[in-house]
Amino acid sequence: MAELKFTQQQEMLRKAVREFVEKEVKPVAARLDAESRFPMDIFVKMGKLGFAGVFVPRQYGGAGLGMTERAIILEELGRHAAGLAMALMTHHLGVDAILSYGTEEQKKKYLPDLASGRKISGLAVTEPTGGSDVAGQLATAVRENGNWVINGRKCFITNSSNAEVNVITARTGEDAKGRPAFSAFIVENAVEGFSPGREEDKVGLRGSSTGDLLMNGCKVGDASLLGGEGNGMKMALSLFTKIGRTGMAAIGLGIIRACLEDGVKFARERVLYGKPLSKLQAIQFEIARTRIDYEAARLLTYNAVGLKEGGAGADAEIAAAKYFATEGAVRAAKRTMDLMGGYGVINEYPVGRYMRDALTTISCGGTSHIMQIIVAGQTLN
Amino acid sequence: MSGFHIVVLVKPVPDPGCYDRVEIDPATGVLARQGMPSVLNPSDRHALEEALALQERFGGRVTLVSMTPESSAETLREALAMGGDEAVVLSDRAFAGSDSLATSRVLAAGIAKVAPFDLVLAGNESADGGTVHVPSQVGELLGVAHLANVIRLEVDPDGSVRARTRIENGYVEVEAALPMVLGVRREINSPRYTSLMGVIASQGKPIRVLGAEDLGVGRSGVGMEGSNMRPGKLSRPGYRRKGERVKGDPEEAVSRIVGILRAEGVLG
Amino acid sequence: MTGVAKAAGRKGAIWIVAEQAGGKLAPVSLEILGQALRMAREAGECEVAAVLVGKDAGGLASVLAACGADKVFLADDPQLSPYQNDTHGAVLTRLIAREDPEVVLFGATACGEELAPTVAARLDTGLGAHCTDLDLSAGGLLMMGVLGFGGRVHTEMFCPARRPQMASVKPGMFQPPPRAERKGAVVREDAAALLEGERIRLRAVKVVWKEPEGVPLEGAEVVVAGGFGIGGKEPWALLEDLARELSGAVGCTRPALDEGWTSGEHTMIGTSGKTVRPKVYLGFGISGSPHHTVGIKDAGVIVSVNSDPRAPVFESSDYCVVSDFRKIVPALIREIRKVKGGGVGEPAPSVA
Repeated sequence: MAELKFTQQQEMLRKAVREFVEKEVKPVAARLDAESRFPMDIFVKMGKLGFAGVFVPRQYGGAGLGMTERAIILEELGRHAAGLAMALMTHHLGVDAILSYGTEEQKKKYLPDLASGRKISGLAVTEPTGGSDVAGQLATAVRENGNWVINGRKCFITNSSNAEVNVITARTGEDAKGRPAFSAFIVENAVEGFSPGREEDKVGLRGSSTGDLLMNGCKVGDASLLGGEGNGMKMALSLFTKIGRTGMAAIGLGIIRACLEDGVKFARERVLYGKPLSKLQAIQFEIARTRIDYEAARLLTYNAVGLKEGGAGADAEIAAAKYFATEGAVRAAKRTMDLMGGYGVINEYPVGRYMRDALTTISCGGTSHIMQIIVAGQTLN
Repeated sequence: MSGFHIVVLVKPVPDPGCYDRVEIDPATGVLARQGMPSVLNPSDRHALEEALALQERFGGRVTLVSMTPESSAETLREALAMGGDEAVVLSDRAFAGSDSLATSRVLAAGIAKVAPFDLVLAGNESADGGTVHVPSQVGELLGVAHLANVIRLEVDPDGSVRARTRIENGYVEVEAALPMVLGVRREINSPRYTSLMGVIASQGKPIRVLGAEDLGVGRSGVGMEGSNMRPGKLSRPGYRRKGERVKGDPEEAVSRIVGILRAEGVLG
Repeated sequence: MTGVAKAAGRKGAIWIVAEQAGGKLAPVSLEILGQALRMAREAGECEVAAVLVGKDAGGLASVLAACGADKVFLADDPQLSPYQNDTHGAVLTRLIAREDPEVVLFGATACGEELAPTVAARLDTGLGAHCTDLDLSAGGLLMMGVLGFGGRVHTEMFCPARRPQMASVKPGMFQPPPRAERKGAVVREDAAALLEGERIRLRAVKVVWKEPEGVPLEGAEVVVAGGFGIGGKEPWALLEDLARELSGAVGCTRPALDEGWTSGEHTMIGTSGKTVRPKVYLGFGISGSPHHTVGIKDAGVIVSVNSDPRAPVFESSDYCVVSDFRKIVPALIREIRKVKGGGVGEPAPSVA
């Protein structure tokens, strides 16, 4: 049984991403959080370096790599700016929706701009009546004179204010058993009747915009239907697993690493009773626990990503990774805030942001409760 | 004009961020550099960026040349991920202990091996040695025009060059023509980040290793034997002072500092 | 014969290559002249000569002679201005080959950094770079002290076999020579003859002088320096205010320079930057990496303020204040204004 080992190319890739993040993102991370601002200029730079289309094939303008490389990028970004990582993560949802389910025309039309970061994307499923309960969506799309007319309101949608290419699910009918059937549509933000709504003021992950999408008699042609009529729910759930949860796990892992590195630095430098804090056993135990959370989250995340790339369903493994990495980030952040004492609660230090970001990851891509339901379901069947 | 052949001299150096780890072996009096990771000499990124910008404008080839132990050859792949078509590593036991002129001899031989060339670019100085000698000496050995301290470079397709070099309190505009060797300062440009596509591309780019025999350099001109400069005693300079703690709250500290300023006669 | 070490007993001359900058002598030229004179005195009876290459430089050559050089070789010609490494390199190489000095010193200015290795390559001789200390043995062997690894390692370098032994010296490391007793002679060289046969490939077409902003670090009696701990451009302004109150110069470390808070590279103090010797140096938010402390090692009184009690800078300081600079600098400015305004202020505590 071989150890989890990255290829030389993946290690080089990580190093290149880390250099970019440390020079361009780290210096502004605190300000992005304070101002709750999505940095379009940095996203464009990331696009040029290939981050936005990391898993998109070369023929459509992407880097032609895979989910492991994507996870590496999200981990490195999450280490310093989890909010920005969230924006990129969500962009990938829209990108993969079109890549995996689009017609050749749709792929050629949208992927080059999305892969290069010239345009931003998002996936809009959640509504006030349907988040964890996705079947509770009320948005509708009705055929009218050869077009689809979409009405409804999505909420808690990341990249709401910035996405030019939105993938939106709406009810288009009923299935054979009389249950609601959903379809997915590609809706560009310039379409009449479409607008981003109110932006939320979030506790964490504040480098990304999150808010409502309002569809008011939004008219789109047949060419906008994505993945065939009635397949919307299947597509969305598949994307949540393959792209959403793996992405959140990687971001959570990045936050754990941030807590570990900052905690170690503080423990080494802070002097108490004439010795560095790191000499105290109680502190050593805290550092050890965070380290263990990091090691475990790392293995769960990259193993789950690897399994999925290999073709396995990996629903339980991915849910477990998301659950563990995000809850682990919350634990790590609390431990690190505590060991930093007074310094932990001053905003000059980033650990408060790590905590808020970690708490916010719990509800993204499926809550911890849902993750446990998925794992239990697979385990008990 | 099918573009230029630009050679960029690059050097893996111990990571300046890890300088605190440098040790002098008390028994041998020699530097112990174990455990210090290698990075691309920071100035060299600027030289490479300048070469890539010229390649984007005019086409042509960019070859990286480095005199470095074979074990550091993979650092060259990181440079290739930023850009460049191939790397040539000049490595041989015989090169160890070279001073800047001996190093320049090896580099000149390496450049001759990949000749013809139009332009050789190098970072002005290396983070560990900091001599600034190599661009000038490589130029002399190759018998071409050379300039150091370049902060701006304009090249025309016909090979005419207008370079701006930094001097204290100003700059000099110099005209010349290719072929040339230029040492560039960091302020000349902002090096590009390495993209994912660059990392992928670097995997397939050739990295050749050439030794003394391949280069046809005689042992007498290189390495310790070929160096006019010899190192002697190593020591850790200490700049210790009395380190008196100024006690008390900020107000008292401020009073103390004012007192010092007065005592030294710098406060009216 | 030229190029190789002399038989024991013969003492060759010590040369310095002087530099003309904007109609004046570059300060480092007098600094290295001072070192050459010192070494000649200590090693016993060897000649000290200066070489000046340029245009309309007769007056400056006389200054060098008046400062104690036994001889000043002057190559004065329009072709030799502005400086170019090929013209100056050719003249210098031929003069050295003809006269066979023991030692040749250069100032490690931008020009010197280029000219010295050019000449060393032409003569196939050794060159110590950015030397911080020099010593000439009785036997005529030059010890060149060189710093590496960001100021952490000092190496003694030698050029045992080839001649001349050449070294470039960091500006500001040394002082100009004291008043000279003897005055030397200026020897005018035939520049055209020295340039004959040399392929001149460069053409320096324009020289632009830009006076840097602010009080220059060189010669400032008070230096106010900041490091990475300052944290931003806004707080940096506090240091500039403080320097202004004291008519001092503002300096910085490399990390602060890289962050873009300072007015330029000319304010950086350190092994790859300036060396300063003010009467009082006030450092704020500087951790004390050897790269920087080398640049202030000869300052009069060093006062450092840093919020980290274990900052290495305190070992290289005379007075150490453990505090956030924001708590010190504004109050310090106020107190200084009070004192300057003739206010009595607090009686100065005794400074032992």
